Amino acid sequence: MKRLAMSVCVFSVLMFWGVTVVGPAFADNIKVGIVLPLTGKLAKFGEIEHKSFLMAVDEINAAGGVNGKKIDLIIEDSTGKPDVGRSAIEKLISRDKVIVVGGGYSSSVTWATIAVAQQRKMPFLVNTGSADRITEQGWKYIFRLNPPVSEYPKAFGSFLEDVAKDVKTVAILHENSLFGQSGSKKFVKKCKKMGIKVLIKEGYEAGAIDFKPLLVKVKAKKPDLVYMISYIMDASLLMRQSKELNFNPKLFVGGAAGFTLPEFQKNAGSASDYVFSATLWTPSVPYPGARKYYDKFVAKYNTPTEYHGAEAYAGMYVIADALKRAKTLTPEGVREALAATDMMTAFGPVKFISYGKKTQQNSLPTFLVQWINGKLETVWPKDVSTRKYVYPVRKWNQR
Amino acid sequence: MEVFLQTLVSGILKGGLYGLIGMGMSLIMGVMGIINLAHGALMMVGMYVTFACFTYLGIDPYLTIFISMPSLFLLGMLIQKYTLNPLMEVDSILPENQVLMTVGIAMVLTEVARFIFSSDYKSVRTSYSGATFFIGDISFSVALVVAFFIALAFTLCMFWFLLKTDLGRSIRATAQDKDAALLMGVNSKRITILTFGLGSALVAAAGTILMPVYYLFPDIGGPFTRKAFVITILGGLGSTVGAIFGGLTLGLAEAFGATYIGMAYDDMIGLLIFILVLLFIPGGFKRLLKV
Repeated sequence: MKRLAMSVCVFSVLMFWGVTVVGPAFADNIKVGIVLPLTGKLAKFGEIEHKSFLMAVDEINAAGGVNGKKIDLIIEDSTGKPDVGRSAIEKLISRDKVIVVGGGYSSSVTWATIAVAQQRKMPFLVNTGSADRITEQGWKYIFRLNPPVSEYPKAFGSFLEDVAKDVKTVAILHENSLFGQSGSKKFVKKCKKMGIKVLIKEGYEAGAIDFKPLLVKVKAKKPDLVYMISYIMDASLLMRQSKELNFNPKLFVGGAAGFTLPEFQKNAGSASDYVFSATLWTPSVPYPGARKYYDKFVAKYNTPTEYHGAEAYAGMYVIADALKRAKTLTPEGVREALAATDMMTAFGPVKFISYGKKTQQNSLPTFLVQWINGKLETVWPKDVSTRKYVYPVRKWNQR
Repeated sequence: MEVFLQTLVSGILKGGLYGLIGMGMSLIMGVMGIINLAHGALMMVGMYVTFACFTYLGIDPYLTIFISMPSLFLLGMLIQKYTLNPLMEVDSILPENQVLMTVGIAMVLTEVARFIFSSDYKSVRTSYSGATFFIGDISFSVALVVAFFIALAFTLCMFWFLLKTDLGRSIRATAQDKDAALLMGVNSKRITILTFGLGSALVAAAGTILMPVYYLFPDIGGPFTRKAFVITILGGLGSTVGAIFGGLTLGLAEAFGATYIGMAYDDMIGLLIFILVLLFIPGGFKRLLKV
């Protein structure tokens, strides 16, 4: 009994504590909800985006906020799971009464959360979730800042046409998730268009210890090019084990995501050398504020950032811009303002247009990067490159 | 042929490691009759011990076994003594709630690890991490071969320990019939504490020898808990030899599945075997081998 009374006491204190912390949010502030994976296996990406959102909102508030009002960011943890993401956005809408939601990392989670947003008529600016179908539903409340995954290899395509003309066959390895499946399907189509033969297309379960069975199977087919859509640690294991097997296609190319993070190089070590990757942003892109964002981030958090962070940073500015222009500070007003967005950010120009099957989708060029001597260098297109690409690449055992 | 042999080698090497992971859980499940859902989290803690020793003290990852195993042994004993055993004493709480408790413990361990080490991915890079040797055209990862033999050695030690020592016999007695063991003068409470410590130490060893080839982050435990559970059911509760067989079966099934069916079905293949075993040989390999 005593124990029970004690635990009731502790519990009520905890409850009360929660209420007092949440309670006195300033009524005048504009509430913006963000859904990100802050824990779980995608936490690393969530962290970079989280920091970038906070940095952007501090800058915006310090510069006078939105028409004199400050922005309150309410950040919910999706833990990288679609069901948790759904309840997170439900909570943001019902309890916190936010007027616009941003964030959305990982296609699977985003796909689940935007359905709620659309249903509850809540504008949602997706800044990372990249499965094509997110903006192919014709949903009025969903906007996307980043290019869809099918467009990631745009710059890579022109690289193949201009430089690596001798690539005739390809093997595609992808993570067995919405992001990986969607990206690999579109890449198969792209290869067919370019006359490159797809020898094998294999999915895998993320987090595997040993990719060797998969890799020997691919090696036996002797592809010229290996294209991989993977998150960070799978990416480094794939490369490490390719090196161990002395597997030498002409090119190893990553489809963004894991291949551009500094941790990839740290974990893969010398196996990351000369690996190419598509990317959506590098600090050397010709947009105003891109380099400045990178420098500020490094100065503030003492760790490098990459395209995911830039997406979040730009996403916050797009939301703030829409809030400034909104006729009424209601979800409906913000939706209309977002639809009329036409601005420049550190991530590139933002304008939500319709093309193909997509609606309210921002269209941006992509870039090709390569790990050279432990550094991520932009190598294509030529006008933004920081270094000349290394191609052809020498075999593992001849390095 | 090369593909077949490489797959076989991969499967066996991975299987040995799986066996070691499953052994600890099998032991705990046999003695206490509960599924230890904190098993993967304990492995994660062991891996962080290795990581910290390597990064800050410069100790070779394999030598850190002598640090990670005792510390996890202690942690496991403390967990059993102060969180799981008290639940047994309160009549109004079902003993099954120990399982729920292990879920809670897993969460706490995960979040503490995140608090200390952040959610960054860590790995231990040694000179032999990427080293390989070739027999014919088949590549062997040095680190995985070493891991396999360490796992094998642990299995033999455990086998000897359970069969030949007094303590081992007490553990087996408690696993077979708790009340009878109690009547024969076995201090079953002490045995449960010891078993949990032992199980934790074994999985810590598995984590440590996995470190040079794999990577680490706070949420890494979940998938390994699942694997350990499948291995335990395959091998039979409380059986060390069964655990090795279970581990090898799972490792081989995953490897051949990856080569000949598709790596995307990794988990499905494992769980399919799990269901088949439950249907056709309930009790696992233990029942076939009688050990």
